Amino acid sequence: MNSIAGITNTTPSAVPTVVHRSTDMDHKLVAKVLVRNLNFYYGDNRALKSVNVPLYDRKVTAFIGPSGCGKSTLLRILNRIYSLYPHQRAEGEVLLDGSNILDPGEDLNLLRARIGMVFQKPTPFPMSIYENIAFGVRLFEKLGRAEIDERVQSALRRAAIWDEVKDKLQANGLSLSGGQQQRLCIARTVALRPEVILLDEPCSALDPISTAKIEELIDELKDDYTIAIVTHNMQQAARVSDYTAFMYLGELVEFDTTSKMFTSPGDRRTQDYITGRFG
Amino acid sequence: MERYRWRRLRNTIILTLSVGATMIGLGWLVLILGTLVYQGLSGLSLAVFTEMTPPPGADGGLLNPIIGSLMLTILAVAMGTPVGILAGTYMAEYGKYAKLTVVVRFINDILLSAPSIVIGLFVYEILVAPLGHFSGWAGAVALALIVIPVVLRTTEDMLSLVPKELRESATALGLPRAHVIRFVSYRAARAGIITGVLLAIARISGETAPLLFTALNNQFFSTNLNAPISSLPVVIFQFALSPYADWQRLAWIGALIITFAVLALSITARALSAGGKSS
Repeated sequence: MNSIAGITNTTPSAVPTVVHRSTDMDHKLVAKVLVRNLNFYYGDNRALKSVNVPLYDRKVTAFIGPSGCGKSTLLRILNRIYSLYPHQRAEGEVLLDGSNILDPGEDLNLLRARIGMVFQKPTPFPMSIYENIAFGVRLFEKLGRAEIDERVQSALRRAAIWDEVKDKLQANGLSLSGGQQQRLCIARTVALRPEVILLDEPCSALDPISTAKIEELIDELKDDYTIAIVTHNMQQAARVSDYTAFMYLGELVEFDTTSKMFTSPGDRRTQDYITGRFG
Repeated sequence: MERYRWRRLRNTIILTLSVGATMIGLGWLVLILGTLVYQGLSGLSLAVFTEMTPPPGADGGLLNPIIGSLMLTILAVAMGTPVGILAGTYMAEYGKYAKLTVVVRFINDILLSAPSIVIGLFVYEILVAPLGHFSGWAGAVALALIVIPVVLRTTEDMLSLVPKELRESATALGLPRAHVIRFVSYRAARAGIITGVLLAIARISGETAPLLFTALNNQFFSTNLNAPISSLPVVIFQFALSPYADWQRLAWIGALIITFAVLALSITARALSAGGKSS
């Protein structure tokens, strides 16, 4: 599952429209996910226009841009969640370890186990905290009781919520606070041991303390996972990400290291957005 | 100030009218319950539940119609509920955007408001006339035809109320659709669906018209579903129309029993749906 097929260093041909200056880190970089010439349509409405962007292995990539620019749409393509809805279609290539996940033959359930997603609104399932996590694990792996216990515990620890829930694992997931619910959702995703985690504005419904906890969590998770995060919060993008992509009106305007993007962006529109002149 | 005083006056008028209308509505309900209790309670005794319907002038009870009604109701729910729930599931989960769903919803609405006597006549034509005799089965089928649209409608409505985010996050874990429905949608909508079934039971336990041409009636104790079977609504209908005072008294008692059974069901349904929301 972890074999990295083909795609190694990002070359200009792999990411044609992305202006990307090499830094010291770059020669070790591997694009875990590579989006190539991606177009997306809601019915006749074109929401993404020839987007090209890599998600580097075990790095955090932030997607910023004004509302409606296509950031969430892009994320929803990466695990094919859009396929739930008719009249939504994607054209182009999204390569996960070199194979195109937009292929009609792609097994969506296996794909989604590899690319997990956490949504804007915390969505614990109407079952116990323990079951919220165990339930997905059981579906993919045949594990004994003790192993599942172990798996649930380690996922809750990873999501930095273990101490808060260890005494009430049988309580309903809905009884937790918003921030705890969101961490439970992250734990649920982590428990399946995906390779990529997509976070769609995971903190927008949370208070600053919960937000800080989730940001710390992202920082820890990136040792093992490739992470993409959509955020409206510029400071958050600057704090948690290694790479930043700026999107505007369905186009990917600029992609670069976060430090470069926030200090000397190449595009006028990026600069205007980051400095708060619009958006 | 002039405008303000006029607004206040208008408020008072409308409030008075609203309270008055509520009182009128509640008043009739209290009167109905009061009459039932007044007429029925005095005759209520153990004999009602242990003895059979008597010939005019003799002592007796309502054992056979009570048993008959219970059997018919249970059978009707057993036949109608699975069809209603499965069809509702198709409409809300699988065929949300399908033309078939629109057609089925339209037809179901017609069935929901079809006069029950028409349903009775229909079942008479397909199950009584060809077989040459009235039967409990025919009565149960007629009642099941009333259960289906009620359960179907509530199932579809309740599943549609399950937030799409919940479905998406379950899907994003790689769960196949059947699992998403069984473990997430059904759980979230459970209280509502059960309420729908209880309301369907309440609805059919008072239905007389569909039974007149199907289950007919039976003045003897019988649990044979291939033969005519007694039921409370039909017995009430027959006894209340009769010139015999003791039959009329039994009709009141029967009406009291049905009304309070339905009342208890409705309260249970209420409690369940309230409980479902708060959890």
